Amino acid sequence: MPPERAGSMPTTSFSKGSVSDALGSQRRRKLVRALRDHSAVSLLVVFVVVGALSSDVFLTPRNLLNILWAVSVLGIVALGQTVLLVSRNFDMSVASVIGLAGIVAVLAQLAGFGLVGSIVAGLLTGVLFGALNGFLAVATGANPFLITLGTNALAYAASLALTHSRTLYTTAPAFNELGRGKFLGVVNYSVVIFVLLALVLEFVMARTVFGRSLYVTGLNAAVGRLSGLSVRNTQFAAFILCSVTAALAGVIITARTGSTVGTAGVGYDFDSIIASVLGGTSLFGGRGGALRTVVGVLVLGVLNNLLILLNVPIDSQQIAKGLVFLAVVWADSLMRHP
Amino acid sequence: VRAELVRRAFNLASGHPAFLIAAAIFAALTLATGETFLTTGNLENVARQVSLDAPVVFAETIVLIAGGIDLAVGATMATAAILAIGFQNFGAPIATLVALAFGLGVGAINGFLVTRARIIPFIATLGTMSVARGIMLTYTHQQPLSGAIDSFTLWGGGNFGPIPVPFVIALALALFLSLVLKYTRLGRNLYAIGGDREAAYLAGISVNRHLFIAFLASGFLSALSGVLLASRLNSATVQLGNDTPLLALSAALIGGASLLGGRGAIGGAFLGILALGMLGNGLDLLGVQTDYQIAIRAAILILVVGIDALAANFVKLRLARVRFVP
Repeated sequence: MPPERAGSMPTTSFSKGSVSDALGSQRRRKLVRALRDHSAVSLLVVFVVVGALSSDVFLTPRNLLNILWAVSVLGIVALGQTVLLVSRNFDMSVASVIGLAGIVAVLAQLAGFGLVGSIVAGLLTGVLFGALNGFLAVATGANPFLITLGTNALAYAASLALTHSRTLYTTAPAFNELGRGKFLGVVNYSVVIFVLLALVLEFVMARTVFGRSLYVTGLNAAVGRLSGLSVRNTQFAAFILCSVTAALAGVIITARTGSTVGTAGVGYDFDSIIASVLGGTSLFGGRGGALRTVVGVLVLGVLNNLLILLNVPIDSQQIAKGLVFLAVVWADSLMRHP
Repeated sequence: VRAELVRRAFNLASGHPAFLIAAAIFAALTLATGETFLTTGNLENVARQVSLDAPVVFAETIVLIAGGIDLAVGATMATAAILAIGFQNFGAPIATLVALAFGLGVGAINGFLVTRARIIPFIATLGTMSVARGIMLTYTHQQPLSGAIDSFTLWGGGNFGPIPVPFVIALALALFLSLVLKYTRLGRNLYAIGGDREAAYLAGISVNRHLFIAFLASGFLSALSGVLLASRLNSATVQLGNDTPLLALSAALIGGASLLGGRGAIGGAFLGILALGMLGNGLDLLGVQTDYQIAIRAAILILVVGIDALAANFVKLRLARVRFVP
């Protein structure tokens, strides 16, 4: 949507018109700013309208729940990625941590642990890799993109070594229920977890000391340090949080399929960043939020759903997704450099 | 005098870590494999493999020097390989031209997105990577393609005596690009832009035009790697190029490039890819399992990146100390 130029309409009645015009232009400017700030929301509205007009099925509750179900796992990863992006870091290792966490959870089940034990084991994998990422990136001050590319390969190697490249199957029925069952018979558990996590993280980022220090760290680490914040601890914690959400996503994926795949998380590294950026989180730290990422994830989900409903072949869907991504970042850039 | 010599040797070594790393890997493998590494057949094999990846590493190096990053190199390379095989009905020259033109196209789009649309290179090339992969998937329906023209396999698979044809191509390319980067105005300007874009702009360098050329060159060189690879394999699959951004970035960084821009050299990048290529080959010879190979490569990347960052911090600290002397 092109940004509307505020207040240049010629008015016939001079005295009164100029006052109301000034008020109107102010309101319009506000609207433009709101649109600028929430371009993902406008895009989501456009997609939903297009969907409602072009398909009878789109607006049915079943389809909408389907969209939520489809994006919930990516959403969980993207929420963690958002926390990290706000502190001006990246995590490319989510791709393999997702696979590894699922494998560890299944191995725990094979070793006799129950539902809770295996989930905890999976999440601990995330803690471990988050701590490793955080240590390497914070202690050396190296570029987090490359460091986590390295740990991504480490996690992949670990999952190959643990499974000997075989597929393992889950043994706890309650665990599969987590992936396939529905809360109160209506909404999938993964959707519930996604929504709860988004609300909790939005609160944490907006209202807690840790959350606020994430933004300060991302905007200007030196200022944060001089104001007495522990920048290093904040970044370290953000790395752990991101890896744990990735591990959670891995556990859910494994519960859905009932078996492990080392490559289950391939593509989630870039997709989670794309979803965050679509929602308005900056790659340069200091800007963004959990609810913004929810919108970004929904844009991707609705787009995916539309492409399927409109019978676009699966191989071409990637082109459409890439083009939409480029269009959004271009629009964002146009608004920032008019 | 001896201290001076040691200091000089240290400076030389720290200026060329790629050479040290390559030499160390070479020596270690020669010792560890009991000379099987040193046989002519094996060295030829290594040279061929390294040469296929060399252009794409040069591509990443040029963009890094100019202060950018290109994540689309892998997708460009793979799609070019697919096109070079897919268009063989029209003859090998046409197929090659189509593949190289595709690379130029991706490079031009990246250049446009970075200079005109003012999207940062990381995001812009992430988008084109996604689109290029989509084009590849749509074109192939995820089926592998195989070639039909024998003469086409010469470029990647042929030999001049014991020397593989692609090795000659890679060496010539390295020489040409080195000369351009070192001795032409274009090359010096790329370093200037990567070092400090603002200063380069104020000095009258047309920053946008140079960045555009860097991305154009990157697209072309990535496609060239794709053509050589297709020629070597005489086939192409959609799995090609998945690890290429990681490989190209690692090799370029080992070769002295920096993510901050303004640093790097083609010779170093060539040594970087040579080191990684020898390492992969040696680990295969030693019978190391794939999972451990991946882990070793990851550890090397983390080490190189970590040491690079620590060294940069050290220099920064020393500079700061000097500055604060009254």
